[in-house]
Amino acid sequence: MIPQDVFVAQRKNDWHELDILVGQERELYSNDGPTISRMASLYRSLCSDLVRCQSARYTPDLTGYLNGIAGRAHSALYGARPIRAFGVTNLLLREFPASLRKNWRFFLLSTMLFVLPWIIGQAGTMAEPSFAKHILPAGQLEGMAQMYSKGFDEGRAAGVDAGMAGFYVMNNVGVALRCFATGITFGLGSVFFLVYNGLMIGTVTGWVWNAGYGGNILTFMCGHAPFELTAILISGAAGLRMGYALVDTKGVTRVMSLRSSAREIAALVLGAAAMLVIAAAIEGFWSPSSLPPVVKWIASGVFSLGVAAFLIFAGREKKRA
Amino acid sequence: MRVSHNQPAPIDTSAEVETPEHVRFQHQVAGPARRALAYLIDLFIRAMIVGLFGIIVAIAGFAAGIEMRGVSTGIMAVIYFGVEWCYYVLFETLWSGRSPGKKVLHLRVITDTGRPLHYLDSMLRNVLRAGDLLPNLYALGLVIMGRDPKFRRLGDMVAGTIVVVEERFDVSERLHVHPIPSPFEMAALPQRVPISGEEMDALELFLRRAPKLHPARASELADIVAPIFRQTRRRSISG
Repeated sequence: MIPQDVFVAQRKNDWHELDILVGQERELYSNDGPTISRMASLYRSLCSDLVRCQSARYTPDLTGYLNGIAGRAHSALYGARPIRAFGVTNLLLREFPASLRKNWRFFLLSTMLFVLPWIIGQAGTMAEPSFAKHILPAGQLEGMAQMYSKGFDEGRAAGVDAGMAGFYVMNNVGVALRCFATGITFGLGSVFFLVYNGLMIGTVTGWVWNAGYGGNILTFMCGHAPFELTAILISGAAGLRMGYALVDTKGVTRVMSLRSSAREIAALVLGAAAMLVIAAAIEGFWSPSSLPPVVKWIASGVFSLGVAAFLIFAGREKKRA
Repeated sequence: MRVSHNQPAPIDTSAEVETPEHVRFQHQVAGPARRALAYLIDLFIRAMIVGLFGIIVAIAGFAAGIEMRGVSTGIMAVIYFGVEWCYYVLFETLWSGRSPGKKVLHLRVITDTGRPLHYLDSMLRNVLRAGDLLPNLYALGLVIMGRDPKFRRLGDMVAGTIVVVEERFDVSERLHVHPIPSPFEMAALPQRVPISGEEMDALELFLRRAPKLHPARASELADIVAPIFRQTRRRSISG
């Protein structure tokens, strides 16, 4: 066994070279070929030095030094895998619907948690208008009624459409992501967001209906609802799935249980976010347009069937002949 | 062999990684304070982005006239959304697990097996910030982090990631003993010094660190162990 000082003197230059190479504040791919292969070979020899250092009882500070370089070199050389367009489309078009079908129970639960409060809010308001004032302030309700009083026969300025589309991206995708993320509290956050949003939408619809503009608000909603409401339900289902993983751990630790559900959950969340971006475009440009209601309702039917068909049939394993 | 894997893991803020080269090394796991500082830097940068685009969009809005004012609102909403939800995912994916704030503080997000971050991991850990920051100021995340040996917040646990420090250390200088022992002192040493391997490690590490310590601190440390060495030597001579 050679003494530490001799060992350090022999190898110091290589370590130093690697230290400088991986210390560069730029990513690996921006280096040229020879530099990268030099880095790789320096890294491998440093790894064997580290093993030697650990077995030869050299001092902890030397081990720490080599550890540090090894860690940084490892992170630099095995950098993040690039995002491949194929991977993303495969995730959205195949894994997303497949994960949803696998977790249909959670989707059903999240639908109930959304639809029942909606029915309560709408039926309650239609039966007794003062019910709505317990849920939303009167001023806001009046504003809603006024908003839908004119209908959309004249359309809107294109600038307003674009503005609203941007707002819907921020607001609706944000709500969906929060609805999912707060599911980490054993699902309670997702339950809250689903019930809250269902109750709000139901109450507003009931109030606008009472004011005599029910046709206007439903015609406005019918275009984007197949995407938007389904996506909110899916993100809620993902949150509930995550909360459930914390409760029913199937014999492993809670963290392991969360980990094993992570891939499905990620697919659901990404899919829901993509659907909400589509919904925002429809809600901004199509829903408030001056097209006759009959066209909007036919489109709504087509959208609904399309979304349902996608979620039911896409990404199934092909049967082997 | 010093590295025995049958022993329980030491109580330490490190995470072991086994590489494809079958080498094990330790990453230093980053603590809450350092991560909070990185978060503040990122927060500042995000606020700057919103502010900068706000000014640009406002100027462009004046130039385009009143009927396009809705577009400015839309663009700002999308930028705000991007800064809130996409900033971290974008940087952590492009820069192999580092956001600007993490880069400044030499932090990096990696998976708990030491492999680089996948964009889905990054998405999960960053969307789950909305859970970690409950009820306010990342309170839940901090409590969870404090209870976890690897300082993971909820987002890290779901995504299977850890945040590590990539600190640069200096390799120690050649061993010098100062002042140089006199021939008389050398002669007083026994032929075979009766000390264990661990004691030798401790002595060697101390001698390497001593030049970096304040002399008073160095002698204070030496005073603590000197009686122990004196006692073992005396015992070995008498016995």
